[in-house]
Amino acid sequence: MTAVNHWNTAQHLLLIILGFFVAFAPRYLPIKIFTQRKIPEWFNEWMKYIPVSLFTALVVKDVFVSPTYQFDIIHHVPEIIASVIVGLIAYFTRSMALSVVVGLVSVFLLAVVL
Amino acid sequence: MVFRGVTLPFMEASFLTKQVPNPNEPKWRSTLSVAMPLNLSYIPIGLACGVLLHAAGFNTILTGLVSIFIFSGGAQFMIASMLTINAPLLSIVLMLFFLELRYALLGSSLSKYLIGTSERFKFIFAVSMNDENYAVNYLKFATDKKWTPREALMVEHYSLLFWTVSNIIGSLVGSALKIDLTVVHFALTALFLYMIIMQVKNRLTIFVGLIAAALAVFFLVLTKSTLGLVISTLISSFIGFALEHYLRSKKPGSHFLYKVSSPGSKEAAVEEESDEN
Repeated sequence: MTAVNHWNTAQHLLLIILGFFVAFAPRYLPIKIFTQRKIPEWFNEWMKYIPVSLFTALVVKDVFVSPTYQFDIIHHVPEIIASVIVGLIAYFTRSMALSVVVGLVSVFLLAVVL
Repeated sequence: MVFRGVTLPFMEASFLTKQVPNPNEPKWRSTLSVAMPLNLSYIPIGLACGVLLHAAGFNTILTGLVSIFIFSGGAQFMIASMLTINAPLLSIVLMLFFLELRYALLGSSLSKYLIGTSERFKFIFAVSMNDENYAVNYLKFATDKKWTPREALMVEHYSLLFWTVSNIIGSLVGSALKIDLTVVHFALTALFLYMIIMQVKNRLTIFVGLIAAALAVFFLVLTKSTLGLVISTLISSFIGFALEHYLRSKKPGSHFLYKVSSPGSKEAAVEEESDEN
């Protein structure tokens, strides 16, 4: 593959600098704000549900949504089956590493078979 | 905690089994073993990302810089693909902004564990926080009362190291390396699936997960961007909060609040005490 983009190094560097700022602001500001003030109880109660909601959204994006943002099951059968396997492994073993390893192996094998 | 069911003697490496905390173990080693599953999944994905950035015209030094300063798989894959279609700078930055907006959720939900740390620490912690190391650290903060912000920062830096080195190697090897991206990317999907399972405490959490799944599909398709992740997460977590508040005050005997048993460990992964904090 040859480079298809003809930006120069300075342009790439500018992209990294701008990218750093748009990534850093949402990372930093909530931490700065919410560690300084007294946080109301309801806010923490709400934030408690952020992890499960966000992780589900990320998984759903990988498993059910195509790169062009269409709902797509047909092309994701290996991922869907592998997800079920990973869920069971995670539930019964509670091991993060085993979940990842089994997930990788099963999606690889299923992609070959299906 | 003993490994139940299948015994895998050849895989009995320290990071595969639940660790019994050893007070004499140096911090750099205990945090390394916490970070290790994530570090290892970063290797193939980082290699693939480095290869793609190389193909998009990034040189090796820039690939290292983008891995350190943006440190986000999703963002770096997006940069690579948008560069190959010659998208203008401003539209790439705008897409990055929408993609990275969800980090505000991570910081908001982690902030209660970071109270009392110095301004400098918060700054450094925020620079290297991303979805994956947040997932690892949130689980540790919620289940291990001795987990400190400093150890969390070490996990961030271990994952940063593995990510950056893998990207640089991928960039050096270039297109000589053929990696099936859809397969290696599933490592992160599996990591998040594991994290979802660890979050399940009661039936309400499962219900919130189902709502989150439906809303995520709806808003991703509707917005045609990762902004859908942020919207669906905000709404479904709020629904979970509102439902729990309603049930606890009006229907304390509700079946929704029944605990879900968790095999493989005696206590639920996320302690009940963490609710009251």
